Amino acid sequence: MAVVEWFTAPLAYDFMVRAILISGFIGIVCAVLSCFMTLKGWALMGDAVSHSVTPGVVLANILGLPFAIGAFVFGVGSVLAIGFIKSHTRIKEDTVIGLVFTGFFALGLVLISKSPSNIDLKHILFGNVLGISTPDLIQTLIIGTFTLVMVSILKKDLLLFCFDPIHARSIGLNVEFLYYVLLTLLSLTIVVALQAVGIILVVAMLVTPGAIAYLLTDRFDHMIGYAVLSAVFSNIMGIYISFHFDASTGGCIVVLQTLLFLVAMIFAPKYGLLKRKF
Amino acid sequence: MSIQVENLTVTYNGKVALHGANLNLKSGAIAGLVGMNGSGKSTLFKAIMGFVTPSSGRVLINDLPMRLAQKQGLVAYIPQAEEVDWNFPVSVADVVMMGRYGYMNFLRIPSKSDRQVVRDSLEKGQMWNFRDRQIGELSGGQKKRTFLARALAQQGKVMLLDEPFTGVDVKTEKAIIELLLELKAQGHTILISTHDLNSISTFCDQVVFINQTILAYGATQDIFTQENLARTFGEILPNIQTNRKQDRE
Repeated sequence: MAVVEWFTAPLAYDFMVRAILISGFIGIVCAVLSCFMTLKGWALMGDAVSHSVTPGVVLANILGLPFAIGAFVFGVGSVLAIGFIKSHTRIKEDTVIGLVFTGFFALGLVLISKSPSNIDLKHILFGNVLGISTPDLIQTLIIGTFTLVMVSILKKDLLLFCFDPIHARSIGLNVEFLYYVLLTLLSLTIVVALQAVGIILVVAMLVTPGAIAYLLTDRFDHMIGYAVLSAVFSNIMGIYISFHFDASTGGCIVVLQTLLFLVAMIFAPKYGLLKRKF
Repeated sequence: MSIQVENLTVTYNGKVALHGANLNLKSGAIAGLVGMNGSGKSTLFKAIMGFVTPSSGRVLINDLPMRLAQKQGLVAYIPQAEEVDWNFPVSVADVVMMGRYGYMNFLRIPSKSDRQVVRDSLEKGQMWNFRDRQIGELSGGQKKRTFLARALAQQGKVMLLDEPFTGVDVKTEKAIIELLLELKAQGHTILISTHDLNSISTFCDQVVFINQTILAYGATQDIFTQENLARTFGEILPNIQTNRKQDRE
């Protein structure tokens, strides 16, 4: 059977099995976070943080540290920089975000071009899940698991923070703490997602699954379920397609996600265009 | 449960929103907050909620500083309709349950008594039959009653309502007022901002006039006068039912 073979043949390669499993896992982590990002309206923040981690990844590589540490430091650093400039100057937030993340990203490009070791720019920008190394794999699993545990513990508080921070504060929750928790989880998720699709496309992983799910349901728990399904499906199928057609893995994953979004946008039972028009 | 505002000044980016405001509301009162748009009504609310840091002065709830009062869940806030994301994937019951988070452990797993309180609050707000609805699928009055039920579930003894009667039908307005009178009888202190000046004397036993500062406050029969309305709005409002005989004549 050609169809069965299409799915089984790549499994003969160890690197494919690893890529498929880790992509599925990355899909779960990103999908869960993307629900919060969609509801909080933090897509631009996700884009900013993901670009800002570039110099961190390069520096970690030069210094021989785990890439996750460098990425995380610069991810959080960009958030703090945005917060500081916003509150100490008269510049509006979207300008500050645009300014900070392009600055960090440009610094990353300079560092790559002057780096003595052979860092592959393409792998950083576009991901390299088919060639993921064992230390990177372990880092991704640890950080992803930590993120999922944190979200499941704080799920209700984070949801309330997204929905109604005024009420959250009025019942004594520490809203600033929740703000920084969500930003930290965002940075960690970006570190995880970098492996699959690279810096440029990370924001898709943080937005699209949540957007698809948001069109399909009115319940938050179902929303997480739909987001996870769509992300895991596109991550794994994206790898298969990229293998068979020898195309960019990150590209295939995100194109698939976008197609799923279009289907949801048109055919969603309650909020789809067809339902709304007729 | 008292609200005490002492010499409160709030500035935003160098602009004074509220200046030297003093207010003292005792337990068991419904106070109507009256003022124009931009007179500092929402600033006063935000200050009582602890959401803005005053440049001078302070707010005490039941003689406690704001942060402690919040930790005890004393202050419940019912937001204006436009402040809420009605597309958010939560049901009516989810929203009311949020009133109980302060009483739960850190995982926010509701206990039997939390569920009971939520049920009672939904029934009091006449929202029990709509408990599974997504909040965007409600009428204006139902939306208000959902957030009122959340405030009931929170069991906050101080309640702040921002324009609760906007976009609400007469029946709901009556139901809300009845509920507020009941809460007042239980010793709650309620502060309501409203544009509906004609309803003030029907259920507010106190009035607070605000225009960049608190111009006057006190019992409705004493201070709900044309002079105070004129000071607050800068003009005479001919059709408002005030309390002094000479005003009506």
